[in-house]
Amino acid sequence: MKRNLFPLCLLILLAAAALFSCGGDKDATDNQKAPASSGTRLTIVSGSENKGLEPLIMAFARKKGAAIDIDYMGSVDMTLMLAEKGKDLPYDAVWPANTLWITLGDAHNAVKKAESIMRSPVVLGIKKPVAERLGWIDKEIAIPDILEAAQAGKLRFAMTSATQSNSGASAYIGFLYAFSGASGSGSVLQMEHLEKPAVQDKVRDLLSRVNRSSGSSGWLKETLVEHYERFQAMFNYEAMIIEANQELTSQGKPPLYAVYPADGIMIADSPLGYVDKGDAEKTALFDELQAYLLSPEVQDEIMRQGRRTGLIGINPDKVDKSVFNPAWGIDVNRIISPVPTPGEPVIRKALSLYQVSLRKPSLTAYVVDVSGSMQGQGLEDLKAAMTTLLDPDLARRYMLQASDKDIHIVLPFNSAPQDGVKTQGNSPDVLSGLLAFVQGLQAGGGTDIYAAAARGLELIGGVDNMEDYFPAVILMTDGQSKGEIATLSAAIRKTPMGADIPVFSITFGDADERQLEEISGMTVGRVFPGKNLIKAFRAAKGYN
Amino acid sequence: MKKLIGPLIFLAVAGVFAYMYFTGGLESVKKPQPAQSVDVAAFVGGEKMAFLDNPEVGRILKERHGVHLNPTKAGSIEMVSGLPTAGKDALWPSNQIAAEIYRNKGGSSLAVETVFNSPIVLYAYDIVADALIQQGIVVKRSESYYIVDFPKLVRYIMEGKTWKEIGLPQLFGKVGIHSTDPTRSNSGNMFAGLLANMLNGATVVTADTLDNVLPQLVEYFRLRGHMEHSSGDIFKNFITTGVGARPIIVGYENQLVEFTLENERYRDYLREKIRTLYPEPTVWSSHPVIALTPAGKRLIEALKDEELQKIAWERHGFRSGLMGVENDPAVLDVLGIPKEITSVMPMPDAATMSRIITALENK
Repeated sequence: MKRNLFPLCLLILLAAAALFSCGGDKDATDNQKAPASSGTRLTIVSGSENKGLEPLIMAFARKKGAAIDIDYMGSVDMTLMLAEKGKDLPYDAVWPANTLWITLGDAHNAVKKAESIMRSPVVLGIKKPVAERLGWIDKEIAIPDILEAAQAGKLRFAMTSATQSNSGASAYIGFLYAFSGASGSGSVLQMEHLEKPAVQDKVRDLLSRVNRSSGSSGWLKETLVEHYERFQAMFNYEAMIIEANQELTSQGKPPLYAVYPADGIMIADSPLGYVDKGDAEKTALFDELQAYLLSPEVQDEIMRQGRRTGLIGINPDKVDKSVFNPAWGIDVNRIISPVPTPGEPVIRKALSLYQVSLRKPSLTAYVVDVSGSMQGQGLEDLKAAMTTLLDPDLARRYMLQASDKDIHIVLPFNSAPQDGVKTQGNSPDVLSGLLAFVQGLQAGGGTDIYAAAARGLELIGGVDNMEDYFPAVILMTDGQSKGEIATLSAAIRKTPMGADIPVFSITFGDADERQLEEISGMTVGRVFPGKNLIKAFRAAKGYN
Repeated sequence: MKKLIGPLIFLAVAGVFAYMYFTGGLESVKKPQPAQSVDVAAFVGGEKMAFLDNPEVGRILKERHGVHLNPTKAGSIEMVSGLPTAGKDALWPSNQIAAEIYRNKGGSSLAVETVFNSPIVLYAYDIVADALIQQGIVVKRSESYYIVDFPKLVRYIMEGKTWKEIGLPQLFGKVGIHSTDPTRSNSGNMFAGLLANMLNGATVVTADTLDNVLPQLVEYFRLRGHMEHSSGDIFKNFITTGVGARPIIVGYENQLVEFTLENERYRDYLREKIRTLYPEPTVWSSHPVIALTPAGKRLIEALKDEELQKIAWERHGFRSGLMGVENDPAVLDVLGIPKEITSVMPMPDAATMSRIITALENK
């Protein structure tokens, strides 16, 4: 199993991935750095849901006169990196959302001193008016109720990718558990449950009701706040629901209402662990940081930010009701019986099942720049990135495998859209055909990303039953665009559900991020700076 | 100061005589050794690290006994079977089986002595303990809770009884006990031994009887799913995530004592909500020091220090492993700790435990 997942030939890829900070998370590149006066520098790789706690850590760093750098990364990335690099991890500390990811990845026992800093259950946050309409206020809701409401067309929800992010994986394992029959009997999810067609069908059905995906929990929350009208609900950490509500209510918008599905909740425990490389000063700084985060004062502060700390599980009296707000459905008195964590082989199998079979299939138009400036390194990088997705071994390595229903469109462009290819499925023939097409691309000519993106939307719009897929345009470009953005806005209007098709951009070279940000803003997409193209590409792909 | 003058004069005189004998080619007479400082490198089970991190403990070891201990945290089984012991002066695992394994594989030692003991217990939330009393599985005697019908509890688990069926509708799912992974952690390992004994009609499993219980034991752990790797982690998770997540866990008796003393602000809640359940009989997690070098022997002697034994009990909850040392629970101010643990059974022997662990690894 392990040998299969981690072939040696990928070492270089991984090293590259590891050296790059966060998969296109632009905040990671410009986050506040503490003064480095003492010379001790500690680097942390963390889940994006911890971003709200960064000021606390920076305050500590300033007090100590030390430098602490935080990069944000999905849980699966952390797991892969740990598995491959062990003690050579290019970070001093890891802070994933769940201990599970350390257990799955840390075959080298590199992570020491891991301590849970706080807890947060993964819940369903529904816009309060929608929850009222469903009659779900103050009512016990289970996962089958959510499926039923979705089947009746009364509910659409967003969640992160189960193979990229812990909150998505938690929700997904909750679904499996709820429909496996294990939940009714209270036993743990086993291999044989995963193989039952009835279980697979129900989970596939529920996942098909997801209308927005994301590679990270923090970004999902930000997107919901920013594009409130496009969402009805999201599975996310209770802490993210609280953060979203603090922002929404300050904007005068109705908050989300938290529902705790009795048969499908997992609790994130956010362990902060240390990778000891023999630097005594770093070790001392880490110890102090951990003690600081676990000190009563800071624990109280973390609790004020919507994370469960201390003995909240058994002592809810101390909780600030304006944060853990009962009017938002936040319920600290509830006894949470989380999904029992399945064994490691079961988790690995479940994640692979999600990727190749159960998730909502994706409909992706790769709109790739083959203008003259791409000649040489640019085109080579682009081909390498596409290979990550289309080579089955590489794709499995990163849990990015295509499913048998995924539709792939590859559309090269320069000053105008060129001839592209469209294909469906994950058979070796299909993928190798696409790969051959990509490998044969030649560079030349000018750049018009607007016309190309518009053509991408048009091709997506031409697919039957488009609503059965996660549609997305992944635009890869290095160029300053000629042409008019109006071309794209016209295409958005013309394409069915056009405004719901995100355009993700991956930049490299001198691409004009301003132009691309404008496109993202218009389409609820995102720009991934491609300093490391493969990593950025992976990140973008994680969002659909 | 006055007190010291006598011995000092004696030492000086003895030194002179020794010198005379020596230079005269006569048989030498050893002078009494003052506590010469010695570095002791040891592998130590994780549950004793808080004790060793206690500055008072370090001070007594050093100042009174000249022992400067350099502990490396390691699993009880791995330190006697897998890890390279070159350069180590002592091994300090958390159970007697580890010492037995070490001896069986031909490991040499200068001395083996048990300095601390802590019984394996179950920790449960108040409502769970009450329900188990209703079921006749647990009884309360003075302030302590005893599992008097462990086989019945095991039967409930194997039959898949739900919490609801035993009067706890607020808890989701089946009756179960959370333990650490028996193949990775000592408390889980000892629980596997205890459970094997329970499945064997509450008598110690031997090489001859193991096959009768092994399939059930393997099935029991197969149904647990993911298990924590460390006794410290499971205890903290138990406390922080509440009754819904882990209604009952396996731990060492000293864990609640240590946690309460380290977290005074939680004392009242812990007292109100957490119950220590003593299996009758239980098994001892004993803490033998295996001395590999003379320096390791010095560690054994130092740990017998009366004050260290007192700190171990009063601040960290470890009962003394030494004859004649009493542990008075009154000083702990933690409810339900009995003065003595009277009902104890042996673990299955090392060879039998090895077979159990191998079967669990391949489950």
